[in-house]
Amino acid sequence: MLLYKGLRDQLLSPLQSVCGIVEKRHTLPILSNVLIEKNGENLTLLATDIEVQITTQSKTTGAEKIAITVGARKLQDILRSLPEAAEVSLTLTDKRLQLKAGKGRFNLQTLPAEDFPRMVITDDQPTRFSVTQKQLKKLLALVQYAMAQQDIRYYLNGLLLITKGNELRVVTTDGHRLAYAMGLLSDTPSPIEVILPRKTVLELSRQLVDSEDLVEIILTPSQARFKFNNIEFISKLIDGKFPDYERVIPQHHGKIIKLSRSQLIQALQRVAILTNEKFRGVRLLLDAGSLKIISNNAEQEEAQEEIEIDYSGELLDVGFNVTYLLDILNNVSEETIELHLADANSSALFILPGNENFKYVVMPMRI
Amino acid sequence: MQRRIAHLDMDAFFASVELLTYPELSGLPVAVGGRSVPQPTRQANGSWQFMRLGEYTGRGVLTTATYEGRALGIHSGMGVMQAARLAPNAILLPASFDAYRQASQRFKAAVASITPQFEDHGIDEIYIDLTDLDSDTESNTLALVHRIKTAVNKATRLTCSVGVAPNKLLAKICSDLDKPDGITLLTMDDVASQLWPLPARKINGIGPRAGEKLAALGIQTIGELARAEPIFLQQHFGRSYGHWLLEAAHGRDNREIVTHREPKSTSRETTFERDLHPRDDKAQLGEIFTALCNRVADDLNKKGYVGRTIGIKLRYADFSTITRDVTLPEATANAQTIRRAAGECLRRVPLEQRLRLIGVRVGSLTTPQEDIATQGQLPLA
Repeated sequence: MLLYKGLRDQLLSPLQSVCGIVEKRHTLPILSNVLIEKNGENLTLLATDIEVQITTQSKTTGAEKIAITVGARKLQDILRSLPEAAEVSLTLTDKRLQLKAGKGRFNLQTLPAEDFPRMVITDDQPTRFSVTQKQLKKLLALVQYAMAQQDIRYYLNGLLLITKGNELRVVTTDGHRLAYAMGLLSDTPSPIEVILPRKTVLELSRQLVDSEDLVEIILTPSQARFKFNNIEFISKLIDGKFPDYERVIPQHHGKIIKLSRSQLIQALQRVAILTNEKFRGVRLLLDAGSLKIISNNAEQEEAQEEIEIDYSGELLDVGFNVTYLLDILNNVSEETIELHLADANSSALFILPGNENFKYVVMPMRI
Repeated sequence: MQRRIAHLDMDAFFASVELLTYPELSGLPVAVGGRSVPQPTRQANGSWQFMRLGEYTGRGVLTTATYEGRALGIHSGMGVMQAARLAPNAILLPASFDAYRQASQRFKAAVASITPQFEDHGIDEIYIDLTDLDSDTESNTLALVHRIKTAVNKATRLTCSVGVAPNKLLAKICSDLDKPDGITLLTMDDVASQLWPLPARKINGIGPRAGEKLAALGIQTIGELARAEPIFLQQHFGRSYGHWLLEAAHGRDNREIVTHREPKSTSRETTFERDLHPRDDKAQLGEIFTALCNRVADDLNKKGYVGRTIGIKLRYADFSTITRDVTLPEATANAQTIRRAAGECLRRVPLEQRLRLIGVRVGSLTTPQEDIATQGQLPLA
């Protein structure tokens, strides 16, 4: 039975969209497979790791209805190594899937589609809205780097997504720094707060493109769905209480300096070379007209950079993990950034001048 | 002060361990390796039925060969099929890594009973610092090396070869000069006469690629390398490797014996007498799990470490194995904290199948003093 016949790319590109979440080693062997479902001319590909499931829709020919699962990575590797313009066909015979391309024949073992676990869609009290792909991609990029990873505070290993009025807010924190970004929606969906798992956020961010096409988002208390192009993500949510982000964002820090982002990145990168490998601490020394950035390491080597700034307030000597500073600077695109400081034990706030929609808070280090 | 470093290298280690099990193979060409080579079978008359290299079909490489096998041209790293063409009648045995590891631990323990000043260098070789032992004269050194070799032989029934030289580089070359069961002593005065006639590839650190490149530049022996212009070597091999090549050719090496490495993680695991079911044997599993956490915590406390990454390892009845980790905000060596974190990991794994093994691991180790420094990072209020 013929499942697909056509160009390599028309099969490879939807396959690549679903395969990013396939775990290499999973205790359920079928989860390393992709489900291929042909329903007449509609071809559906589906992969899951039980936490998140991705489906793509594309076209094929013929009236048959067939469904089968096959090793996702192998199929992807074979297709990827074929010439771009290759014609390929997938045929199912006796529980084996044969891929033909030119004179090439590849016989793959399969597992029955009935055994493939699919996520059940929950549609109770849904919050529905749409944003452009570009807008969502930008919002995720502004905060995703501050998510925790494998933290025992499991609710930090993800992204807090909130709808409030016509605002879409995203927040991430690892307990040392916090990133917040907000975008405006064209409508006012019902308010909801959910925590998306880290893996869902990273994969979503990887697949969104800079286009004006819409992403349809459906959030329920237990599930998030994202539909764009011919792709659908269904993700479980992290069940937990996210920290009160509003309380963490400082309001009245008195020492304010404007900095050139590119200049600051370069200075930090150079100074970072002589930081202690484990702690990566740098000192910022704020003085009238100048910001000094200083580091030293266990071998007593030292680095110092100086940036001219418009500042006439009090002296301040405060330490930070240089990685936390570079993270924000590398993930915003504006050339001028504003840094708000108070004292050596209080958080620092980074904002984009004239823009209330982004905030990055980072706690100092004692150096 | 002149150092005296010994390099001890077990003779044809894997093959020799096999010969302990099958003494009747001694004196015959024997190879170890390949994939899914069957275990020898005992026949009715009590003798063993072995597989011959010529009978093997399939992939895989040899792990080692006895000296009799090496005489036929087969050696470790060679494809089994290729070896089969050279020595079809040689005996082929499957590798038994557990036995090698046990023998390895025994010979290292034997050396440790004489001096703690040794550096682990893989399963079948170690460096020993003899400088502070009674080895100031040649006869004292020889007597000491004999003592070590006898202790190793008593513990393992195996032989080893030992090279003694002023540094690790020379000692390693030396131990290879009189194999098997040899002792070679070398001083800096012997470098020109003993070292320089040898091929450059004998230096540990000149691999096949560097060896080929040297040969293409007309340098075959260590002596020719020693006479090369520093600038010439640095042009062809880069500054640091070029510099090192020349130092090595003159037998100069200042590396210390590293007797202790900072551990990266510590773990405890146990395989059950019978496979346990997560639900039906919950109480028993819970006890074992807690006991493992306590033992890991004890290990950490004894060694004076704390760790931030807590992980578990489960092996199911079908031998599939999974691990899960979590990271704590601050490092710990506390049994309850480890137990709680390991319990979090356990919530993230499927628990339908029976289990045959469970393990607990603490990683990202530091000392409590160092961790105070990481704690320099203030948390968000």
